[in-house]
Amino acid sequence: MKSYKKMKSEKGRVAVVGTGQTRFEARTPLSTYFELALEASSEAVRDAGITFAEVDSVVYGIYNDLFERQIMPDTYVHDYLGLYGKPGTRVTTGGATGGYAFRSGFAEIASGLADVTLVIGVEKAQDCYDWAQGKSTPEVLKSIAYSADMTWEFPLGTSAASSYAILASAHMRKYGTTEEQAAMVSVKNHGNAFNNPYAQSPMKISVDDVMASRMISYPFKMLDCSLYTEGAYALVLMSENAVRRRGLKDPVWVLGIGSSNDKSFTGSRSAKDRLGMYGDIADLRNHYAAANGAYEMAGIADPGKGIDVAELHDAFSFTEIQGYEAMGFCRKGEGGKFIENGVPLMKGDLPVSPSGGLIGAGHAVGATGVMQIGEVANQLRSRAGKRQVEIKNGKGLAHSIGGPGSSYCSVSVLGVD
Amino acid sequence: MRSSTEKAKETAKRELKAEPLESVIDKMITENYDRSKQSVERERFFEIPDKMVMFYKYSYGQQSRFFSELQKNKALYGSKCKGCGMVYFPPRSRCSECYSDTEWVRVKDEGTVVSSTTSWYATSEFFDKVPYAVGYVKPLDADTAMLQRIDLKSSEFVEPGTPVIARFKEKRIGVVSDFWYEVKE
Repeated sequence: MKSYKKMKSEKGRVAVVGTGQTRFEARTPLSTYFELALEASSEAVRDAGITFAEVDSVVYGIYNDLFERQIMPDTYVHDYLGLYGKPGTRVTTGGATGGYAFRSGFAEIASGLADVTLVIGVEKAQDCYDWAQGKSTPEVLKSIAYSADMTWEFPLGTSAASSYAILASAHMRKYGTTEEQAAMVSVKNHGNAFNNPYAQSPMKISVDDVMASRMISYPFKMLDCSLYTEGAYALVLMSENAVRRRGLKDPVWVLGIGSSNDKSFTGSRSAKDRLGMYGDIADLRNHYAAANGAYEMAGIADPGKGIDVAELHDAFSFTEIQGYEAMGFCRKGEGGKFIENGVPLMKGDLPVSPSGGLIGAGHAVGATGVMQIGEVANQLRSRAGKRQVEIKNGKGLAHSIGGPGSSYCSVSVLGVD
Repeated sequence: MRSSTEKAKETAKRELKAEPLESVIDKMITENYDRSKQSVERERFFEIPDKMVMFYKYSYGQQSRFFSELQKNKALYGSKCKGCGMVYFPPRSRCSECYSDTEWVRVKDEGTVVSSTTSWYATSEFFDKVPYAVGYVKPLDADTAMLQRIDLKSSEFVEPGTPVIARFKEKRIGVVSDFWYEVKE
């Protein structure tokens, strides 16, 4: 791993120079997935002040072929964008698709393969339709459940929610984290979404509302869960040379990326292994590893002091609490206290998910991680509109997770000079 | 001498022994589709019922013995690493820690819940079963835990650490859902 310091001394840094997105909505029957991708990437290209002709390569973040009703959906986006002649590759790592697509986009430029790379996250889940119940959600859940191991886990009736709920139960048991503390995350993120004109679920709710919402998978209630969303988000990444050549004014530099995949069979994490005794599944060690990797690359010693703003992955409210701990914002087991003390609120010392996160802004799976990184970039270059927070150190973090038992995790740290 | 196109036509006629299952599903969803709704939305967008369907004849490969023992003998088998001694449940042919070969070992029906959740919402296939618990269960003599259904009986949640015992369906077909766990009295 090459440190940010070394990349800077070699003038070999990578910047985010453009962002663009569609509205995040429950369903967009007026647009196909490739039309959503076109809308977001046209906006990103315009924001960066370039044309599609100047793009050297593309990385697509698209999670689920069954959502899109298409195997290899990326190749049809590529055609629709008129990018023939240029290389395009797809990344698919569950809920972490966006974070890993960004990692690949960074690599395209850092390696010298490209000077300008588009990272496009897009997803359109709700064309899935359950004809037995006459609605989309159960069929969306089914298409995700096929991501569980088809031999050992899918036949038992597992779901994305149950996979993460098992981790939350373990966290409650080990540290005494409460459902009310998790509900505070939901209240915060639904509230933050009012400041995001692209968000799907702005709601003024209380902890009691969350506690009273229908049970989905214990301890997750309906309002602890993000909703499925259709939308796209695109980023333009550029090499330091190209940034200088074009005289771009406010590049947001990639300071560090750390990624770690844990065992996807959550049950095998309870064994003693090469990475040391895990003992239980309350602590998501790949999240710790990803954060540590990103901080090491960025040269950040104390994340609690160095980071101004973070977008954490809150597919479920409890997951954000586990994120506070793994990102080093508080000590292990104190994530519940962290929200109770108001630190991650908009007016707190370390605002988390001013966008509304997945719970407030929506979870357009492949687009989600890209959106989180774009949100942090816009915060750092003071373009976050009504959701702008105070930038003191010029550093922000995005946390992208997914897969069975949260087996994928990629953490990106961005910064401005 | 027959031409290759004639051979192809004959093959097509001979090979199809029944109506393709996709066509059966097609008929079901198109017959039930409300066309009036389709024409109302037609001005703005046009929707059709559709599907992606795949059928398989899947081999469990080197994990096969787990399923044959489960189906024939109501016995749970894991695999023990010949190098470091790790007992895998579910089994795997080679150790993911030291990469030595493993050997089959029967594991106990009794185990402990590592962590669980109770599902109150599900896809149509499982909707009539809610609430149901799924959780990771570690057999007393294994090192890893396996996801399984845990009978809730009259409770709403199974706490981590709860002792459980395996129960087997009368009619077993060689799938993981041929058995489940219930709380040990």
